Amino acid sequence: MKSMSIRKIKNLIRSNFILIVIFLIIIITGIIESNYLSFNNLLNVLRQVSVIGIVACGMTYCLIGGAYDLSVGSIVSLTGVITILTINAGVSEFIAILYGLLAGLGIGITNGILISSINGRSGEAFIITYGMQVVAASIALFPSNGLFIAGRVPEGFFKFLGQGVMPIVIFLSIAIILQFILSNTQYGRQMCFIGSNMDVARLSGVRVKLNRVTYFAISGLLSAIAGIVLCSRVTSSNPTAGTGFEMDAIAAVVVGGTSMSGGSGNVIRTVVGAVAIGIMSNALNILGITAYHQQILKGLLIIAAVAMDILNKTIKNREMEHEKAYTG
Amino acid sequence: MEKYILEMKGITKTFPGVVALDDVSLKVKSGTVHALVGENGAGKSTLMKILTGVYEATSGEIYLDGRKLDLYGVKDAQEKGISIIFQEFNLINTLTVAENIFLGRYNDSQYINWKQIRTKAHELLERLGFNFDVDRIVGTLSTAEKQLVEIAKALSYNAKIIVMDEPTSSLTKKEIEMLFPIIENLRSNNIAVIYISHKLEEVFQICDVVSILRDGKIVGESDINNITRNEIIEKMVGRSLDIEYPKRNSVLGETVLEVKNLSRNTKIKDISFALRRGEVLGIAGLVGAGRTELAETIFGVHPADGGEIFIKGEKTAIRSTREAKEHSIGFVTEDRRGTGIVIDMNIPKNITITKLNAVKNRWLLDKRKEEAVASEYVDKLDIRTPSVNQILNNLSGGNQQKVVLSKWLFSDADILILDEPTRGIDVGAKYEIYCLINTLVEQGKAIIMISSELPEVLGMSDRILVMHNGTIKGELTGEDMTAENVMQIAVD
Repeated sequence: MKSMSIRKIKNLIRSNFILIVIFLIIIITGIIESNYLSFNNLLNVLRQVSVIGIVACGMTYCLIGGAYDLSVGSIVSLTGVITILTINAGVSEFIAILYGLLAGLGIGITNGILISSINGRSGEAFIITYGMQVVAASIALFPSNGLFIAGRVPEGFFKFLGQGVMPIVIFLSIAIILQFILSNTQYGRQMCFIGSNMDVARLSGVRVKLNRVTYFAISGLLSAIAGIVLCSRVTSSNPTAGTGFEMDAIAAVVVGGTSMSGGSGNVIRTVVGAVAIGIMSNALNILGITAYHQQILKGLLIIAAVAMDILNKTIKNREMEHEKAYTG
Repeated sequence: MEKYILEMKGITKTFPGVVALDDVSLKVKSGTVHALVGENGAGKSTLMKILTGVYEATSGEIYLDGRKLDLYGVKDAQEKGISIIFQEFNLINTLTVAENIFLGRYNDSQYINWKQIRTKAHELLERLGFNFDVDRIVGTLSTAEKQLVEIAKALSYNAKIIVMDEPTSSLTKKEIEMLFPIIENLRSNNIAVIYISHKLEEVFQICDVVSILRDGKIVGESDINNITRNEIIEKMVGRSLDIEYPKRNSVLGETVLEVKNLSRNTKIKDISFALRRGEVLGIAGLVGAGRTELAETIFGVHPADGGEIFIKGEKTAIRSTREAKEHSIGFVTEDRRGTGIVIDMNIPKNITITKLNAVKNRWLLDKRKEEAVASEYVDKLDIRTPSVNQILNNLSGGNQQKVVLSKWLFSDADILILDEPTRGIDVGAKYEIYCLINTLVEQGKAIIMISSELPEVLGMSDRILVMHNGTIKGELTGEDMTAENVMQIAVD
């Protein structure tokens, strides 16, 4: 019995290894620099990760459903451009937001239809959404010839979205809602089945194609929300604002502990992953480590996260084999 | 004093908390085919994993040709003359036959002598009595041909012992007939074959000696001529099985499914039949005759492109699996792990997926309801599991199959299509599945049973359709349901 509990603790440490490492970085930084752990600084970090975090929430659904969505970064850029241009044209800010959301949703649905109509697995999804990323990124560049667009944003709802704690509130609300849906509804359960084994899902009478379209639609819609929040925060749009977001989002999901192989995951843990990465960058800034060196650490962190995921799975399988040997 | 090529002495293997093998001794002679039989979980695979270096025995010794052997992994065992051919082949589909046979051993010098490799591969296959193009890509070979490549690979290591794990489970009748001469050939080449199989007919046909494992112990060993089929089964299950196929008292009711001129491209052609409540309709035929394709068409996996389906008298177009489910059809597929269950999810999730609506409180899933459903089926179908929330991977094949059945019973299926319902499960569990089938038809369900095991189809069916080349070539009832008649129709 005692060995069981030691094994449990070991498992716990192993499956949270990345978070533990980050936690250690936080403590060390906190000791060196007392300002670091101040409420204001943490709030600041949270605000910074909100945009990426919203994108990562949608990405979590895609990964659980067994696919990647690489188009999210371009959707962030494109919705920003669309929304700011519409506002600058003097149209109601609600209409502008609606246009932005529809653009994201539209791209997401297109992704979804393309992928699920060919019964694409994660490889096909990877390439198709990458193609969409290139297309959407280019479209975002047209209106301003690739230049930054200053927004003539009046005081109001749109501006309110990016101010103060609003991005954090939006981010956390989305995460909570998504996690609730995931773990408590038919839709969420079917997502896990589709991500684990699409054939089992289909042969159990689940509407696999329709469900899969929705994962990309949600991812597109959330990327659009992220794009709008980002523009609102800086009251302008940069047509390359979202470049690289897809990888940052995947990193947050994976560091949070959602498996790359689909079928299981947790949106709240994605929040933890996103915040952890944010806190780490912040700590490295405070410690005076340059941006270039930070990228190296971030890259290594992601690789370590995936490696731990695989390692955990291997160990779990081995334990299952052993258990099987006596229940079998 | 007879000489044994292989002696395993006092092999014990314990896993945390359990003894998987308890003082097992096995002696095998050169030039014999030695059957190893036992229910799933009896310890066959553990024993073979020890023999091939995958596991290390907790205690006990292995002697090869009188010399004590220490094994460090599969590769080491292979080099020392012990090869195993698993059910799932260890071949690389994108490489050629010759490349596969000598995989990892291409070069003695710095450069690879492809010509020599191809010649050697060709010689090996010739030794087995086959003239074979060694440049063929393995992915394009049939299952039987792949098996041949595996055997050639074993020979290339100068194997003294070849372990075959369920070698015929995915072969057609014809291919099995091809395999047996190869095994004869190995025997005459003085190689010892350890033959693991559930199919006792084959054991009697090809093996010289049989060892029976139960609960990690050898419970019997005999020359094949001195033992009967029933004695083997008795030893395997530890009780006597008077009748292999339980009797039922079913009353045929109204027609629930009628298929008229059903076709789907070239896979199935012009299929017509009717199925009544309380009936088990067997579908026999060789692998590739279109039996699974027929099931998939009825179930909407690949919808029909011609013909009509009537369910309870009503004309119905089944365009998707969801529609099939809504018309109360259930489909237990032949590939349990691939398409039947999600192996790392628990019993409740695997059962309720077919009807999540029934375990909801308004909008949300109610996990207590799900557990209650699972408990109900665990009791009803006697699913043996330490707890209701067990992950499917921890259940035996037979119990996994009961979970698959449960999920369709839960979906209120009246028409159950069972494709190879007892594949890969042990004798005891098979019997339970048969009893379950009987209970279901007695309750008024209608069952279509596709099976490659003739005795099973003959023993369980009220009526048999024999398929050939995508069509129904014959129908057998009553006295006419004999193995000979089925095979007469099934082959060309």
